[in-house]
Amino acid sequence: MKFRESLISAHHNYLIDRMLTPGFLLGKADAKDDFWLLADVLLPEERAPFLCGRFYDPEGRFLVHLRGDQWVENPGGCRLQGSGDGFQILYPSGEVLLAVRTEVFTNGYLTRIQGKLYDRSGLLRVEPSFDSARVLDEAWHPLASPVRASKNS
Amino acid sequence: MKKTQETERTQGIWIFGDYRNYFQNRVTLQLIAKGKELAGKLGTEVTVLVLGHQVHQFAMEYSAHGADVVMVVEHPALKTYQVETYTRVVAGLVEAWRPHIFLAGATAFGREFFPRLAKRLKTGLSADCVSLEVDPEHGWLIQTTPAFGGELLADVITPEHRPQMATVHPGMFKERIHDKTAVSRIVYPEVQVEADDRVQLVRSKPEQAQKGNLQDAPVVVAGGRGLGTKENFGMLFELAACLGGEVGATRPAVMAGWAEEDRLLGQTGKSVKPRLLITVGTSGAVQYTTGIQAAETIIAINRDPNAPIFKMADLGLVGEGRTILTLLLEKLRRRI
Amino acid sequence: MKSGLPDFIKGDCSTVNIVVCIKQVPDAPSIRMDKERMTIIREGVESIINPLDAVALDAALALKEKLGGRVIALTMGPPQSEEALREALAAGADHAVLITDPRFAGADTLATSHTLARAISRLEPFPDLILCGKQSIDSDTGHVGPQIAEELDLPQVCGVTEIHPEENSLMVRQASDGFLNTLRVSLPALLTVSRDLTVPRYLPFGEIERAFEGRDILRQGLADLELDEREVGFDGSATTVLRLYRPPPKRRGELLSGTSQEIVEGLIRKLESLSIIDEEDAGN
Repeated sequence: MKFRESLISAHHNYLIDRMLTPGFLLGKADAKDDFWLLADVLLPEERAPFLCGRFYDPEGRFLVHLRGDQWVENPGGCRLQGSGDGFQILYPSGEVLLAVRTEVFTNGYLTRIQGKLYDRSGLLRVEPSFDSARVLDEAWHPLASPVRASKNS
Repeated sequence: MKKTQETERTQGIWIFGDYRNYFQNRVTLQLIAKGKELAGKLGTEVTVLVLGHQVHQFAMEYSAHGADVVMVVEHPALKTYQVETYTRVVAGLVEAWRPHIFLAGATAFGREFFPRLAKRLKTGLSADCVSLEVDPEHGWLIQTTPAFGGELLADVITPEHRPQMATVHPGMFKERIHDKTAVSRIVYPEVQVEADDRVQLVRSKPEQAQKGNLQDAPVVVAGGRGLGTKENFGMLFELAACLGGEVGATRPAVMAGWAEEDRLLGQTGKSVKPRLLITVGTSGAVQYTTGIQAAETIIAINRDPNAPIFKMADLGLVGEGRTILTLLLEKLRRRI
Repeated sequence: MKSGLPDFIKGDCSTVNIVVCIKQVPDAPSIRMDKERMTIIREGVESIINPLDAVALDAALALKEKLGGRVIALTMGPPQSEEALREALAAGADHAVLITDPRFAGADTLATSHTLARAISRLEPFPDLILCGKQSIDSDTGHVGPQIAEELDLPQVCGVTEIHPEENSLMVRQASDGFLNTLRVSLPALLTVSRDLTVPRYLPFGEIERAFEGRDILRQGLADLELDEREVGFDGSATTVLRLYRPPPKRRGELLSGTSQEIVEGLIRKLESLSIIDEEDAGN
């Protein structure tokens, strides 16, 4: 019987491609000039998801480099807007680029990500699917431990 | 799975994730803990099966409580527990993965679903087990199951058919504590799910916690014909109130009109498992005692020192029920 | 004297053919064990109809009373199980079938359900409804009903507390894991009944006479049912009993006698030790 496989954390997971995972990476982390998305594994004391990435618009123009809850660069003039259960990245027009919501369980958390993310060729890499997102045409890498702990930028 | 040369090729301990009424219903967690212990002796892993819709929370709970693998089938048709639909899906998974042992809690659903599944798989199943062990030499699961309301126990094995299946009485094993640092594997089988529409759930509502739910009461005070009169029996209600418990009765007491039928304890009535059971004026007929024998502590009051009830009591008081109750209530009233 | 129709039967539909599976069980105080074969000795022991099967029979008779049709009582067991079928006939069942054969002995629920399912599948016409008690007081498993349903590919609902006939289906109520469920089941189906399905027991006038007319009980054995020896009895079972035993006594059995004062003091100390009541403050 065919099956798909991932990891699951007792504490916090992201929902991607209808699967749970403690963390995942799309593309090459810290790539300087193309799309990538890191949904990092959370430490036991953390409750908010940690997302980093470099996002482009449908024409392949570089929009924003996000790290956690801050911009590293924001040439696209995007806005970061908080919501009760997460946050949204908005185009200058107000259209939603990426929506991140975290559901709170008694003993854990689940983060759903929705949005259309493009790369520098204008290719759609991530799109909404069911109540979260799915990744187009590539495998994402599940993470079991935090990546950012080992980075020093 | 037929009995078979294929016996050697089965592997793994599976547990059906029964998450209805979670956090109260903890039987799956208890089975994970026991499963890990047995898996250690067999050199294998514990997989918990979760069927449903939006079941992420439960998958995470099972990981936290010790599952090596969580196997999830998410589909709207699985949102409510349904025997035929679940049987079809789970039988397919069992045939694909061939677990060695498959356990489920003896909840009402488990006791309806697992026999049908065992029959589809043409394998053996024991019900409501109170103990499980393995014989690593043969790979047997030794299933201890009660008969005659618990008056007898049977140690059962399924020597040749696989998987070896059992439903397990809630509360027999201790769960592992929640570990938020746990990380497990999660598997998503690609399986067709078709609802069997020959049985349709029209309406489901939570049962009202009845005022005075005998089966959940931590203390039960029960009486029989030996109390003599309805007035004497009536003292049990005050005693129950003092002790934070409920009143039960034997069939003769119910027949005499001293208590309602829904207070009947025993073979044709309710079985209770309170922390404390006080039984007054009951001789100890088996038709009654099967309903009380699971109580943690039993105190019996009877004027006949040879009454069989004393054999199953932790503490026996030889004396007249009415006298003892009157004096006891007096003393308890003074303390309040 | 016929009592009014029980409340749990409401509604309207055409006639029904009902099979009720009955088990004769030992009356509890007489349990004896066959240590060699690890089974309960049934021969020569006081027996009763399993209480929940009696409830199922009464439900079947009430349905027949309301809708017309036939009730067939079926039992698998040693020859003495015929007594249970005579009782069923006396209560109003139209026919009775005794499934008996030495080779059926020692069957677990897998083999038992296979044997019963075969017997039921050979009935003409095939029943609209099969009723069983939710579980028996001896083996306590509650497996045979669901396993018959599986073999005959019938929908099942266990632990039913109400039955309402409809056009080609039944609406039933079930209490399950803290939920009160209302379900629609298409026919043919198998239901197991709970003790909470209260049905008045009644003996229709005239039926008592009929019972003693020596109505035939159909007897069927291995050959009649064209069963494979390897799929019935001990050989057709997947489970084996290693040992059957009385649980070790776990009660301390301390006995208190003396004056009522002394006894009650002892009781109060026990209640305190269990933290059921608080210990009295030393000052009082």
